[in-house]
Amino acid sequence: MQYTWKIGGEAGFGIMTTGLLFSKIAARRDHYIFDFVEYPSLIRGGHNAYEVNVSDEPVSSLKRDIDVLVCLNKETFDLHKKRCISQAKIIFDPEVFTPEGDIIPIPVPFTAILKELQGQVIMKNTIALGASLAILGADLSELNSIFEKQFAKKGEAVVSLNQQFAQKGYDAVMNANKEHVISVLGKKETGKKLVINGNEAFSYGAVAADCRFYCAYPMTPASTVLTTLAAWGKKTGMVVRHAEDEIAVINSAIGASFAGARSSVGSSGGGFALMVEAISMSGITEIPIVVFLSQRPGPATGMPTWTEQGELLFAIHGGHGEFPKIILAPGDHKEMIELTLKAFDLADIYQVPVIVLSDMLLSEAHMSIQYDEIQGEVNKYVPNRGKLIASADETYKRYLLTDDGISPRLVPGESKTYYQSNSYEHLEDGHTTESDTERIKQVDKRALKMQKYMSDHFVAPTIIGDINSAQTVFVGWGSTKGVASEAIKQATELGKKAAYIHFSYMYPLDKNKIKTLISDSSKKYILVENNSEGQLGKLLQMEIGVSFEHKILRYDGRALTREQFIEKI
Amino acid sequence: MSTLQDFTGYKPTWCPGCGNWGIGMALKMAFVEMGMMPSSVMISFGIGCSGNMNDFINAYAMHGLHGRAIATAVGMKLANHKMPVCAVVGDGDCYGEGGNHFLHACRGNHDIKVIIHDNRVYGLTTGQVSPMAEKGQKSKSTPSGIIETPVDPLALAITQGATFVAQTFAGDTKHMVETLKKAFVHTGFAIVNVLQPCVTFEKKNTYAYYMQHVYKLDAAYDPTNKMQALAKAFEIHEEKYPLGVIYQAPRKAYHEEAVADITTPLISQTRFQDFNNLVEEFI
Ligand SMILES: Cc1ncc(C[n+]2csc(CCOP(=O)(O)OP(=O)(O)O)c2C)c(N)n1
Ligand code: SF4
Repeated sequence: MQYTWKIGGEAGFGIMTTGLLFSKIAARRDHYIFDFVEYPSLIRGGHNAYEVNVSDEPVSSLKRDIDVLVCLNKETFDLHKKRCISQAKIIFDPEVFTPEGDIIPIPVPFTAILKELQGQVIMKNTIALGASLAILGADLSELNSIFEKQFAKKGEAVVSLNQQFAQKGYDAVMNANKEHVISVLGKKETGKKLVINGNEAFSYGAVAADCRFYCAYPMTPASTVLTTLAAWGKKTGMVVRHAEDEIAVINSAIGASFAGARSSVGSSGGGFALMVEAISMSGITEIPIVVFLSQRPGPATGMPTWTEQGELLFAIHGGHGEFPKIILAPGDHKEMIELTLKAFDLADIYQVPVIVLSDMLLSEAHMSIQYDEIQGEVNKYVPNRGKLIASADETYKRYLLTDDGISPRLVPGESKTYYQSNSYEHLEDGHTTESDTERIKQVDKRALKMQKYMSDHFVAPTIIGDINSAQTVFVGWGSTKGVASEAIKQATELGKKAAYIHFSYMYPLDKNKIKTLISDSSKKYILVENNSEGQLGKLLQMEIGVSFEHKILRYDGRALTREQFIEKI
Repeated sequence: MSTLQDFTGYKPTWCPGCGNWGIGMALKMAFVEMGMMPSSVMISFGIGCSGNMNDFINAYAMHGLHGRAIATAVGMKLANHKMPVCAVVGDGDCYGEGGNHFLHACRGNHDIKVIIHDNRVYGLTTGQVSPMAEKGQKSKSTPSGIIETPVDPLALAITQGATFVAQTFAGDTKHMVETLKKAFVHTGFAIVNVLQPCVTFEKKNTYAYYMQHVYKLDAAYDPTNKMQALAKAFEIHEEKYPLGVIYQAPRKAYHEEAVADITTPLISQTRFQDFNNLVEEFI
């Protein structure tokens, strides 16, 4: 069963923290969650909302209907009532407004409680949490212990004040509306879970991958990678630098990578645009770099706090000239960790730029993932630095021609030799050249690396659902995986035959492995993307020669929904 | 011990008589006199006639992007702070295309030695004005004379937090070598602005011009006096060019605060593996 709790209120009043606390409590009670936040690109004013989908099975997207809506103001009810189920439980403050319609009103005297306990407006969130836990059949034990930890430094008085507010909210429900309590958040035993968002997953993966240098300039929705890694810096030893601009960001990271440190940068489309010249430099100098690109609706400043998959082709083509690069687009949080580990290896092995694509949805939505699986993943991981070497003799050539196009890359400092990494076309030894024959050799050498990638590392799209029986086959990439998986599950339950082909290894593509997947004439293939142009479709047309007649394209800044899939089957 | 030969790469392609010849020689001499080896230094080259030194001098080097040499050097230093790092750049490169990096590297006091070939033109792209060109200077891109007034790089560096600001002249090898050596001894962001005649595209700021307009700071000059240093920097407006260390101040270099374990270069530190410690906040 899936059950949606949503809270809304004015921006700047702690909605995000409250939503995340709710997710963590659900996960501590061993439920699975998927959550997402809605907020305007403002610090104060405007509407904020946070929605958590609670499930007893792993869950990877929001659902259509809201079951419990917590309204910290009237606007919340007005905006979201259309998505409420019949007899949805509406938590509200009777001193502020009274909701009407096919609902179950759960009045909670927020204003009166604030007055009584002399609390600040922000404490409404705590009351709301207490009331929410009550209506969903949980007790306050997890919330109370979170307060104990969170406010340990501020002292017993602060802890107990917070606990009192939560208790008041809890009591308000239990005293007047006990009959409406439903057992959604009963305690389970399904194993310890992490509540993590895509940016945290990338950050965690980067630490596990032994990234030593992360450089960025804040830009939503990528900024929290910078802040997360910076907060961990003292523990991990990673040098995390907020540089003056994105051009400095990537050039510094390439400098650090040249010197031998695994390095990474992150931004959204606008910042990435400033980086492309250096991505091209990474290509010709063959200096590895991992670029985290979290997309938001563009062009230009676009809609900073909403979601879109509008930069697939930009990522693929970002950088002047012809050079190899690898683009990965994780589909969910666990894949984000796995592919981040992979990205650092691939960058080192092939000495190329590797771009990890995310988007607002994946970056900011939290998902519960099993603690053991993640620990297993990172504990068994050993960095593969490819042909990075620490010593060499006088004959060393940085751009030596080899069978696979990959030359040994020497960490600067070895005393027997020296070399230059050159952004001009160069000879095998790194010196600048304009020779026609040497030019061809180096272009071919760089291209050759991707042949090895195709045979050793390229992973074909994965299939969700039963492709053999499916008459309708959706094709998508990146964060679409979450909602597509849920849609296929739901369709199967409804007795409909559908499957989803998911791309995570976006570029380069192995034509042979892909063409057969999407060329069964008895099936209806539907391209699904969170953009207006169908960029994966264009890519497949260009690279594989297939085209899509049917498309679901969403570009209003909102995430795709399951219903958009279901209605097409 | 190294020799000049150790540092000598390809034969330079600079125009005969260009100030870059002197700068290239002085840098090699300074390296030799400091007992450095091509393998013991990292150099980040900009793009320009100046940056073309990449092929003429031996070192662990990156010939990167126009304007970005300082940014690249910042990363090199943080990854391996035990190796000296310098950036060889043009005035267009450093004060124009890469002006933002210059500004912020001063603030950060990154331990990088920046050698600016200040020839007041874009040499490599055939002589358009650089941000150092005097107001009114005509060039192919400014046929009616440049409208902007020039950058005052020394004053800029001093006011933005650079901790070593020096000027020298491509016609005086000995002075260049001495100045470069002082820059390398300094810990922190060091700029050495080298007045460099471009014999092909710049007809005013010639060797003869500079001979008349430069003078050496004497032993009594106190480079720790910031206001006095600024006054020296402002002399550019009277076409007077003091040579020597104009300003120097002690301040922790960026890497000394950014690298958690300063005893070991970042690249040689042991791998962090206490992953459990990090996930606590996700529960
Ligand atoms: C992004 C970019 N823009 C423009 C150029 C072309 N370009 C190469 S060198 C140069 C200017 C060189 O002037 P300066 O930095 O003063 O060096 P100089 O050649 O005078 O030593 C320009 C504009 C380039 N390589 N890259
Ligand atoms: S163009 Fe000017 S700066 Fe460039 S090499 Fe010739 S003289 Fe030197």
